[in-house]
Amino acid sequence: MTAGQRRILLVKTALDGHWRGLSVVAHALRDAGFHVIMGGMISGAEIVRAAVDEDVDLVGLNVGGHTLVVERVIGELRAARPQLPIFAGGVLPPSACRRLGELGVETYPPGSSLEAIVDAARRLTQVHAEPDAAPP
Amino acid sequence: MAHDRQPPPNPTSQSGLPLRAAYGIEDVPADHRASIGILPGEAPFHRGCFAQGYRTKPWRIFQLSGYGKPEDENERIKFLLKTGETGFLMEHDRSTADHLYNVDHPDVVARREDVGMTGAPMQSVRDTHLCLDGIPIETTYGHAGGAVVQHGPFALAAYWTVARRRGLDLASLPGTGQSDFFLTYLGCVTKQQVPTQAGLRLNADIIEFCGEHLPKWVPVSIAAYNGGDTGLNAYEELGALVANAIEYLDEIRRRGRMDITAAASRCGGVNFRTTMDIFEDAAKLRAARKMWHRLLTERYGVSDERALRLRIHVVTSGSKMTYQQPLNNIVRGTLMALTAVLGGAQSLGVSGYDEALSVPSEHAHQMSVRIQQILQHETNLAAVADPLGGSYYVESLTAELERRAWSFVDEVAAQGGFLATLDSGWLHARARANQIKEFADEQSGRRVVVGVTDFTDDVSPFVVDGFPGVNDAYDVALERLRAVRRERHEQGARKALVALEARCRGSANIMPAMMDALDQEVTLGEIGEVYRAVWGDWQTPELV
Repeated sequence: MTAGQRRILLVKTALDGHWRGLSVVAHALRDAGFHVIMGGMISGAEIVRAAVDEDVDLVGLNVGGHTLVVERVIGELRAARPQLPIFAGGVLPPSACRRLGELGVETYPPGSSLEAIVDAARRLTQVHAEPDAAPP
Repeated sequence: MAHDRQPPPNPTSQSGLPLRAAYGIEDVPADHRASIGILPGEAPFHRGCFAQGYRTKPWRIFQLSGYGKPEDENERIKFLLKTGETGFLMEHDRSTADHLYNVDHPDVVARREDVGMTGAPMQSVRDTHLCLDGIPIETTYGHAGGAVVQHGPFALAAYWTVARRRGLDLASLPGTGQSDFFLTYLGCVTKQQVPTQAGLRLNADIIEFCGEHLPKWVPVSIAAYNGGDTGLNAYEELGALVANAIEYLDEIRRRGRMDITAAASRCGGVNFRTTMDIFEDAAKLRAARKMWHRLLTERYGVSDERALRLRIHVVTSGSKMTYQQPLNNIVRGTLMALTAVLGGAQSLGVSGYDEALSVPSEHAHQMSVRIQQILQHETNLAAVADPLGGSYYVESLTAELERRAWSFVDEVAAQGGFLATLDSGWLHARARANQIKEFADEQSGRRVVVGVTDFTDDVSPFVVDGFPGVNDAYDVALERLRAVRRERHEQGARKALVALEARCRGSANIMPAMMDALDQEVTLGEIGEVYRAVWGDWQTPELV
């Protein structure tokens, strides 16, 4: 890992093991110079722990299930690190994109260009000034 | 954007085969040229397994279906049968079935709203009863689910237990299992799974059990589709399927309990994908039949003509279905279905136009069936077998895919065999390289996806937001799990579990014990606990 390298945690919110999309995104982010940590299929509490322990600058949620599960994960992350940016990709119908958008989470459904995802990662990891709340 | 996109200067097939502007007889390799005159129904069957083609056996309309509670899934299956599908597929809830977890497992509780999103949770034979209620399984070809290897024995035993309780004779029950290594260990890598060697043992047990008790049943079905949609190209998909079959048949031969011809015949119901490269994928299906014939005659000395005929189920590539402008997917589904028919598939499932958004809505399912009905009844496609036979181009592709596929089989063998390539991550790396190249081609404009990379204007008034499903699948499943625990004969269930564990630790076939366990209302999660205690967890290779 290079000093000053931005750190991104990628996780799957559902117990659905399809990994093709996540793999391509992880590869593009690594190519763009990010340090990518693969969290795998971990629960909300485990995602929070990984985000804190790994001191990441951004969390990417790979969605393969219900929006309510994703909302809960977002809530848990926000409680621990309110300023930590989150973005999401995967199986996200327009209504799910709208809902997550309302929660301040950018969404990249299938067909999104890798360029747009990498740009978002750069932008979201740039400003990260306010101090985070201590984990509970 | 880019309405003036020019075709790339050096076009290749999707798997990278260089293509000429036109083909002549000299482009068909000499060793393949001789077999062009062979007719459908004649060995080595690249032109089709049956002389009459679809005249006597129309392809089976066979759509994957499942969501919600078991009774929701039941309703959808009945809808599809009424709409015109000629076989049905049960899809089980991924979070529970793939992992052998009951709904009160902490990993499921943490994601409880996901339960029922991709299939109904079926934790005991009671749920399978509900899912199959009113469906004439004695005459309708059914897929019992159990796509993931460790789930296969449970899903099959549940289906067969329902059949038994209806008083049906298992010996005449039609249908198929899956227990697919490609899905389990390559395409959809679960959080927890039995190691590949244990998976091989489970599959061999199913094959032998069906040989003895269910001669009309396809015990396991190798689904190279799942390799293809994870990234393997056409000839890697072919080669990997053969390499997988070698593991099964070598194991059956090593165990020495079942006649190899019978086993080969049972394993000869496989699954490929078709994509948007029409001629390459039609050629792939032709090459598959020829390779199967050669594998069985040369490696296993099989001579029974019936066993040498490979039966192919095709599913149109889900990954080719776009999120943007989803109605375009009806066209894509039609073209990929056409490809399957041109390649001589025996059964076909067409992905829903809403594939990139959710499991199929009722309307998407209806469209998938209608596409197949239009092809069957309006186009005259079913009248003549292997209409591509003799095409210089398609025969050349068939020969080249076969040549490259056999060298892929050799590559896999050099790695220690199919299971070894899954354990080491070698096959995942192959798939990953292709995934990345495919996306890079889209980024660079070398590959056009209409409505996504180009031609993105859209005036469609139709809003497609995916299928919402139901919101009570988890709560109902939890209540039913508690009811099973409360009402079953606890001593009988415990005894059956102990017997199953003993079978797992020994070498005798586990399936009779699994049937007893299902009959005693042992639950999915309890089977999982036995497996985890006996075999532990597969060491997943690094995927990304």
